[in-house]
Amino acid sequence: MLTATQGAQGKLAGVQIINYGGPGSQPLVRIRGTGSMLAGAEPLYVVDGVFTSDIRNISTSDIVSMDVLKDAAASAIYGVRAANGVIIITTKKGRSGKMEVSYAGNIGFRQASNLVKMANRSQYTGFLTEVSPGTVIPSGNTNTDWFDEVLRNALQHSHNISVGGGSEKMTYYFNVGYLYDEGIVIGNKYDRFSIRSNNEFNLTKELKFGTQFSFMRANSDTIDNGAIFNNAYRAAPVVPGKVDGKYGNTSAFGNVGNPILNIDKVNNRAAETRLQGTAYLEYSPIKSLKLRSAFSVDQSFYTRRVYNYAYLNDAVTFIETGGNQRNDLSTLTGRKENVTNWLWDNTATYEELFGKHRLTLLGGYTAQKYSSDYVEGVRRGVPPTRDQWYLVTGDPNTSTNNGGGDKYARASVLGRVNYAFADRYLVSASIRRDASSRFPENNRVGWFPAAGLGWVLSEESFMKDKGAFDFLKLRASWGRIGNDNIASNSYIVTANTGVPYVFDNGLVLGSAISDIKNANLRWETTEEYDFGLEFSTLGRRLTGEINYYDKRTIDALVLVKLPGILGDPDNEYVTNAGSFTNKGWEFTAQWKDNISEDVSYTIGGNITFNKNKVTGLNAGQPLPRGGVGQQGSTTLTDNGEPIGSFYVYRTDGIFQTQEEIDNYKNKDGIVIQPNAQPGDLKYRDKDGDGSITSADKYFVGSYQPKMYYGINLGFNYQSWDFSADFYGNAGNKVYNGKKAFRYQVTDNIESDYADHRWRADRPSNSDPRLIEGNTPASDYFVESGSFFRLNNLTIGYTLPKATLERMRMSNLFLPHLAEFVYPETFQRLQSGVARQSARIRY
Amino acid sequence: MKRNFRLTLYTLTLAALATGCGKKFLNIAPQGAVTEEEIRNNPNAAQDLVNGVYNIMWIGGFEPDINSFQFIIMTEIASDNADKGSTPDDYQAAKDIDNFTLDSRNGVVSNVWKGHYQAIARANQALDKIPLSPLDDAKKNALLGEVRFLRAHFYFNLVRFFGGVPKIDRVPNADEANSDQFQTRASVDTIYNMIIEDLTFAVNNLPLKGATQVGRATKGAAQGLLAKVYLYRKNWQGAFDMSQAVINSGLYDTLSNYANIWRVAGANSSESLFEVQTGVNAACNAAINIYSVCQGPRAGGKRGWTDLGFGFNNPSANLVAAYEVGDKRAAATIITVPAGGTVLWDGFRIPGRDSVENDRYNYKAYHSRTQEPYCGVPDRMPKNHRVLRYSDVLLIYAEAANELGNIAEAQNKLNMVRRRAGLGNFTGTQATLRTKIWDERRVELAMECDRFFDIVRQGRAGVIMRAAGKAFQDGKHELFPIPEDQRELSGNRLGQNNGYN
Repeated sequence: MLTATQGAQGKLAGVQIINYGGPGSQPLVRIRGTGSMLAGAEPLYVVDGVFTSDIRNISTSDIVSMDVLKDAAASAIYGVRAANGVIIITTKKGRSGKMEVSYAGNIGFRQASNLVKMANRSQYTGFLTEVSPGTVIPSGNTNTDWFDEVLRNALQHSHNISVGGGSEKMTYYFNVGYLYDEGIVIGNKYDRFSIRSNNEFNLTKELKFGTQFSFMRANSDTIDNGAIFNNAYRAAPVVPGKVDGKYGNTSAFGNVGNPILNIDKVNNRAAETRLQGTAYLEYSPIKSLKLRSAFSVDQSFYTRRVYNYAYLNDAVTFIETGGNQRNDLSTLTGRKENVTNWLWDNTATYEELFGKHRLTLLGGYTAQKYSSDYVEGVRRGVPPTRDQWYLVTGDPNTSTNNGGGDKYARASVLGRVNYAFADRYLVSASIRRDASSRFPENNRVGWFPAAGLGWVLSEESFMKDKGAFDFLKLRASWGRIGNDNIASNSYIVTANTGVPYVFDNGLVLGSAISDIKNANLRWETTEEYDFGLEFSTLGRRLTGEINYYDKRTIDALVLVKLPGILGDPDNEYVTNAGSFTNKGWEFTAQWKDNISEDVSYTIGGNITFNKNKVTGLNAGQPLPRGGVGQQGSTTLTDNGEPIGSFYVYRTDGIFQTQEEIDNYKNKDGIVIQPNAQPGDLKYRDKDGDGSITSADKYFVGSYQPKMYYGINLGFNYQSWDFSADFYGNAGNKVYNGKKAFRYQVTDNIESDYADHRWRADRPSNSDPRLIEGNTPASDYFVESGSFFRLNNLTIGYTLPKATLERMRMSNLFLPHLAEFVYPETFQRLQSGVARQSARIRY
Repeated sequence: MKRNFRLTLYTLTLAALATGCGKKFLNIAPQGAVTEEEIRNNPNAAQDLVNGVYNIMWIGGFEPDINSFQFIIMTEIASDNADKGSTPDDYQAAKDIDNFTLDSRNGVVSNVWKGHYQAIARANQALDKIPLSPLDDAKKNALLGEVRFLRAHFYFNLVRFFGGVPKIDRVPNADEANSDQFQTRASVDTIYNMIIEDLTFAVNNLPLKGATQVGRATKGAAQGLLAKVYLYRKNWQGAFDMSQAVINSGLYDTLSNYANIWRVAGANSSESLFEVQTGVNAACNAAINIYSVCQGPRAGGKRGWTDLGFGFNNPSANLVAAYEVGDKRAAATIITVPAGGTVLWDGFRIPGRDSVENDRYNYKAYHSRTQEPYCGVPDRMPKNHRVLRYSDVLLIYAEAANELGNIAEAQNKLNMVRRRAGLGNFTGTQATLRTKIWDERRVELAMECDRFFDIVRQGRAGVIMRAAGKAFQDGKHELFPIPEDQRELSGNRLGQNNGYN
C-alpha cells in the first residue's frame, strides 16, 4: 500500500474512495454519500490533532491508526468541515525504552484495466467506408492501438526508515521516507521525499511540551491525462503512433492531435515543498483538569514550470506533413505559489469520577487563518535547451505576468458535557459557535448543537449472565454541523482588474464586474440522526457493527446554473439552493481466529446502502448540468431524485425500416420522428405531443451508487503474511460522453459499437447506424457503473523479531486506475472544431 | 499553585482576547479585486469599467461568442455569401446552420446568445457603477455614452438574430433575476426602442472622431449605427438624417485602396466608424479569439505545406458570380486557389488546389504572419473586426434617399462606392436603384457579416436562400431558434420562435 487513503479503500463501511487522476493526487473520499453538492464534500482529516485537507505528506508506514467519525455527534468537536465526516489519523510516536529502528519497503506495478476496446483497422475502415465513402484511408496495414501507445505498466516503490524511542523525560520518533510512483500514462510520474518527527517532553509533572514536524518535497511530471485519453480514444487506428522518432499525423487525417506528441512536446514539472509544524503545551494544574494549547503552521511552496516546445507540422516532426497539430513559438510559463495555514487550538478538559458517575466537561476555542498568493509569468521564444528554461531567455515583448491571492479565517467556540454512569449509560451534549469569513457579516455566525446516548448492554447483569456477547452497545445520536467550504468571495460583488483592451494602438487595462453573487449566503447545515449497534461475540472472534443514518443537508451551497441573460461568464453562481438527504444502512463484520500458534487468519466485510434524494430546491428550479458537446444538459437535480440524476430521452430500440418510421405516430397521427432514417434511435414521446422535445426526458439513474462494499482477507503463517482486499459498488450509472460526442466522422469508434451498429445488411436493435455531433442525449449513452475489483494483494515476510530491521516486499496490483471518473476535460487543437467534453467510464 | 493559577488565567485571558478580536479577524476583504467602495472613491474606476466592456468583444471561439467564429457562422455561412468550408464533416453545428437544418440545441446559436448577454451584463454593470464615480457629469455622460453605444450594438445583433429577446437594461437584484420580467421575451419594438434610446444618448454625449482615443465609440459611430438601425426599422428619414450627419461631419472618407481596409495598414483608417481593436498583440493577449485562423486556408489533399487555418467560411460560387466584370473588390475579398496555386499579398504561397481543402477563402480575414504583427499563436492573430465603415453609411444614405424619392442623392452616393471599386456610374428608377443598392451592399460588404441580416430585412431571404440551394423556410428561418438550454433554464418561460421546437 502506498498511500493512506488507498489503505482505507473498501475497509470501512460508509466510506467510499474514488481514485482518479495520476500519481500524487489525492483520491476523493465520500462518507455516507455525497453530503454536500459544492461546499467541499471531502471529509476533514485530523492528523495528530491538526486539521488538514491534504494528507499526501504522510507515509503509510507512519500511520498507527486511522479512525472515521461518521455521525454528527462524534464529529461535532471538530466543527467546521466535519459535516462530511472526519478521518482521524494518528502517526507513530516513540515509546520510552529501547531505541527501535525499522525499515519498510514496497514495490509494485499498476496497469490499466477494463479499458474500452477501440475499433481496430478493419472494423474502423469498414465503418468509415460506409458512412463517409469520400474519405481516403491511408494504405498499408497500420493498426495502432492508441491506448496501448500511451499507457504502460507503471512502477511504484517506497522506502521508509524510522527511529523511535525515549525515556521518562522525553519520547522521540523520526521517519525518513521516499516514494516513487509512475502514472499509467507515459511520462507521468511523482516522487516524494519526506521527513516526519514527533517528540514529546515532560517538562514538569504538570507540564508537557510536544512538537510534531513534517517536511515533504515532491516532484511531479504532469500530463494532461484527460486530453491524452480523449485523443487516444479518438485517434484513427490507421495512422501510426511514433516511428523512428517521427510521429503519425493524426490531425492531417482527422482532427485530433497525436497523443504521444501531446505528451512529448510539453514539459510540465511541478515541485511542492511542504512544511508542517505543531507545538503544543499541556498543563494539568490539578489531576482532573487539563489545559491544552496547540499552535500549528502548514506552509506550502509550489513552483511549476511548463515548457511547450515549438514544432511545425513538417517532415521534421511528422511522418507525413500537414495537419494542424503544431506550435509555432515555444512558451515558458513559470508559477510560484505560497500557501500558509495556521491553526490555534485551545481546550480545557475537566474530568471527575464521583463513585460510578463520570463527568467530563470540555471547553475550547479554535482560530484558523488561510492565506495564499501566487505570481505567474509567461514568455515566448524560449530556447528548447532545458538549461535555458528561464523567463529571461524569452522575448521580452511577449511577456505577460499575473498574480493573485486568497485569504479566509474561521473562529469557533465549543462546549461539551459527557456523562457516564457505571460505564453503562452514556450521555453527551455539545454546542458550538462557528464563525467564518466566507459569509456576510450578518450571517457569519452559526450555532450547531449535538447530543448522543449510549447503552452498553453487555455490562447489564441480565446480559452478563448469558455470556452470549462479550460486548454489546446500542447508541443513538443527533447533531448539526455547519459547512463553509466555498470560495472566499462568493458573497461579495467585485470587479476583476487587469482586463486588457487596446486604445490608441496600446494596451490599456480595465476592469469588469461579471460574476453574479448572492449577498446573503449562509451556512450549509448538515443534520444527522444515527442509530448503531456494536458487538463482539464468540470469544471476541467475531466483531461487528450495524448502523442506520439519516443525514439531511439543509441550505445546501450549490452552484446553480444561471440563464445566459444574466451574463455571468460561467453561467452559474453559488447560493443556498436546496436540501437533500442521505439515508442508509451500514454493516460491518470481522472474523479473526488462530488455528494454531503459527497460523492465524481474518475475514472481514462491510456493506453500505445509501439513498441520496433531493428534498427541496428553496423555491428555485431544478438544476440542469453536464452538457456534452451539442447534447445540452445530461443531468437534472430535482425534488425526489438523487443529486445529478441523468435526465435524458428514453430510447425504444432502433428504427429498422422506413415503414416503421412512418408508422411511429402519436395518438393524433403526427409522425414523431419524420426526419429519422432506418438505423436511427427511436425516442419515446413522453408527453405525446408528436415531437421529441425536452419535455420528453426521463430520469434514468444517477452516478451515486446505491450500494458499496468491501471484502478483506488476511492469512498469517509464521513470518509470512498474505492479504487481499476487494471493493465494489453497484446501482450507479455513468454517461459515456466520449461515445456521445463525435465531432469528426474520422474519430475512432468503440469496437463493440463497430460490431453491433445497425447496418442495412445487419440489422441491430441495440446500436444506431451512426452517432453524430447532434445525436441527442439519451439513455443509449447511460451505462452501468457497477464494478467489483481487487484493490490490493500483498505477500509479506517479517524478519525474525530479534532483528531490528523489518523487510517487507509486496506485490501490488492497482487494477482500477484507468477507470476513474475524469472531471470534464477539455482539449482543443489549434485547428478544427475540437471542443471535447468527455467522461471515461468507470 | 499560585504559578499554576496565573498560567491558567493567562491562557483564559488570551482565549477571551482572541474571541473579542473575532469580528475584525473575520472581516477579510476580497484579495486582488475592486469593491464598490473603491469605485466610489477612485476617479479611474469608472473609466476602467468602461474599458472592461470593450474587452468582452474579444471572447469567442467555441465558447460564448460575440464577433468571432460562431457569429460568422450565423451571419456569413448562414447567408448565400459563404459555404461552411473546411472538411465536409468538420463542425456539424455549422453545417446545420449552413443548410438550415439546425434545431434549438445548436451549440453555435447558444454560444452567440450567451456571448451577447455576457457583454450586455458587463455594460449594465458599468452603467450601474459610473454614476457612483466622483467624476463630473459631462465626463460621466461621455462614459455612459460609450457603454450605451456598445449595449445598443449588442442588442442590435440579438434582435436581428432572434427577434424579441429578454430586455435586460440594468443589473437585476438577486431576488428579481428569476422574475417573469427578465425571463420572458420583450417585443421586437421594445428592444428596438431601447436600442434607439441608447444610441440617441450616445449621439448626444460622445466626442467626435479624433477628439478621443482611437478605438473608443464616437459620435460618428453612434450616428452611423443609429442610421443602420433606422434602416432596419424602415424609418427612412431617420436613416437619412443620421447618415447625412456622418457624411457632413467631414471626418470620414473612403479609402482609395479597397484591399487595404482589412489589413493592419488600413486599421482605424478614414473609412472606419467603429472596429474591435487588437493592436500589435506582442503578448498574445489582445485579439478576438480564433477570429482570423478559423477562416484561414486549410491544408488538404496532398498537403505538404504549413496551412493557415481551419478553412471555414468559404466565399461561395454564388458570391463570385455577384461581382460585375472589372470589380476590384472580388480579388480583395476572395482568395481563389487555382490548380497551380496562388501567392498572397504578403508573398505567402499556397502550392496548389490539390494541397488545400477548399476552392476559396476569405481574404478579408487573412492576417499575414510575416508582414503584420504575429505573436506566434494562430488563435490570437490581431485582426481588428470592422463593425461599421463609411461605405456602409454611404449605402444606407443612398437607400434612405432613394426611398424618400431623392433619386439624385441616392445615385450620387451609390456611385461613390462603385467608382472606388473601379466600376462605372449607375443610373435608374427608384425601383431599379433599390435593387442595385441592395446588390451593391452585398459585394461592397461581402464577408463582413452583413448579408444574412440584410436580405432578411429586404424581405428577399427566402427567394435568395433557396436559389442558393438552402432549405430555407419562409416564416421560420428569418430568425434563429431560442437555445433549448436557455429555455430550460427559464423554466420554459422563454417562448420559442416560429417553426422550431
